[in-house]
Amino acid sequence: MTYHLSIFMENRPGKLERITKILADHAVNIRAISLASAGEFGVAKFLVDNGETAYNALKEQNITVSKRRILIILLSDEPGAMHGLLQVLAENEINLEDCYGFVIDRGNQAALVIEAEKYPQAEGVLREKGYKLLSDEELRSL
Amino acid sequence: MFWDKPVETMEEEALRELQLRLLNETLAKAAGAPFYRDLPVREVKSLEDFRAVPFTKKQDLRENFPYGFLRTDLSEAVRLHSSSGTTGNPTVVFHTMDDLEKWTDQVARCLYMVGVRKEDVFQNTMGYGLFTGGLGFQYGAEKLGALTIPIGPGNSRRQIWFMQTFGTTVVHILPSYALRLYSVFEEMGLDPKKDTKLRIFIIGSEPHSEELRRQIEELYGVKAYNSYGLSEMCGPGVGFECPYQDGIHIWEDRYIVEVIDPETGETVPDGEEGELVLTTLQKEAMPLLRYRTGDLTSVIPGRCRCGRVHKRVARIKGRADDMLIINGVNLFPIQIEKTIMKIPGVGKNYLIEIKTENFMDKLYVKVEVDREIFAGTLSGLTELQNRITEELKGEILVTPTVQLVEPGSLPVWEGKAKRVQDMRNK
Repeated sequence: MTYHLSIFMENRPGKLERITKILADHAVNIRAISLASAGEFGVAKFLVDNGETAYNALKEQNITVSKRRILIILLSDEPGAMHGLLQVLAENEINLEDCYGFVIDRGNQAALVIEAEKYPQAEGVLREKGYKLLSDEELRSL
Repeated sequence: MFWDKPVETMEEEALRELQLRLLNETLAKAAGAPFYRDLPVREVKSLEDFRAVPFTKKQDLRENFPYGFLRTDLSEAVRLHSSSGTTGNPTVVFHTMDDLEKWTDQVARCLYMVGVRKEDVFQNTMGYGLFTGGLGFQYGAEKLGALTIPIGPGNSRRQIWFMQTFGTTVVHILPSYALRLYSVFEEMGLDPKKDTKLRIFIIGSEPHSEELRRQIEELYGVKAYNSYGLSEMCGPGVGFECPYQDGIHIWEDRYIVEVIDPETGETVPDGEEGELVLTTLQKEAMPLLRYRTGDLTSVIPGRCRCGRVHKRVARIKGRADDMLIINGVNLFPIQIEKTIMKIPGVGKNYLIEIKTENFMDKLYVKVEVDREIFAGTLSGLTELQNRITEELKGEILVTPTVQLVEPGSLPVWEGKAKRVQDMRNK
């Protein structure tokens, strides 16, 4: 299962820094990050090269963290690529709970990370349409 | 099951007769204390007549400091206990040797009632010294023959080391500290259910909710019993839950129980809430008559399933002076605790803050989230926040601002928890 780490934190200076320090201390590389705030608290999502190491290190430091299943979809880094993908998801009535992207190779390849409601279905639809999904191993060796 | 079978299994009529006899003895003795010298009543024909005796208040103890309530010669007293006295004179209570023996016997009676035996290992995490929670239980547990560890409060890792090394089975602990201690078990990668022999927790010294007790029982895999006492009577051992956990039996061969309306001083009927008033029946050094404890409770009507006639009072709701008034609405901190503790996703600690904003009182409730239940979505957190807000609104009729905070981020206390911070402009 491909996942990112979802962390509960208070929206105050120093809270995010505490997390990045733990990751740095354990030689975990961050691929992408997204933050969502509900005022005084929020949720930070970290996509990292080694999820297991990061998860265990955070747990050990009593961080409130959980694994969330995701799909990482490879796209070409060009105008309209994301639109094409979202059309496919919309046509198949697949709702996104969270979504963020990052560039892998400028002008060439990018990735979109999604948390979807219906996993096996979303995965099936995307593969059928010829989208390539990034595996755990590929994420590690990026 | 009974430590003192004749007294514990006494029938109603015999118990009232005993109380009347002991009360008249106490009235005669009390007249020896300067404060009670001019008591209008010297002898009563019935327990109802006794209501002509005026109340004794904590303020009286302070104003007649230090010897105004002592009826024996000072040389007869062998111990004193004292409050911290941060506001004015401390409350000082004297004990003769007989008082200490009776107190010890009461605590042993309580412990025996819930199944503590000489084979048990009793770890007492309460403070020793002037505070009665330490020494009171030390003597009581020793009396029934249990190996008693006077470890006192604090140093959680050492507490756990003693529990594991000596196979502690019974712990006397503040309920707030029991939760804090559990998080230290977690940090050490230990599960008290598997890694200790704990079976009974004695919890007391601070008002706590039924929900908090159940949480402690689940976390540790123990039975937790509510202990009631106050230093003015002796300390712990005044009342205790029986195995049915359905109210606190007050030992009526030692105390007369009354519940009054704190405003009018009138006795309220059983089942109705008011202030607990106690009269000592066997104290030698310092008898107290109709002492207003400040603790809010009610007498539970009917006889307990355990068979004891000794009156039961409901879990202490708080102290009359703990009551918060938020924009004119009265509420007790315990109402907040009992509401939030039954909501899944809520962690082990919380804090109540009251501030003045735009000339109005504003109630903030900071709640730690449960690390294990966090599912990783912001919507889950806002749902939790809304649910806590709605349920609190229903219980206390004030709309609080609920703030979710990280587990372990709120202050922890080694002594009694100070969960209310009133920062209002006075």
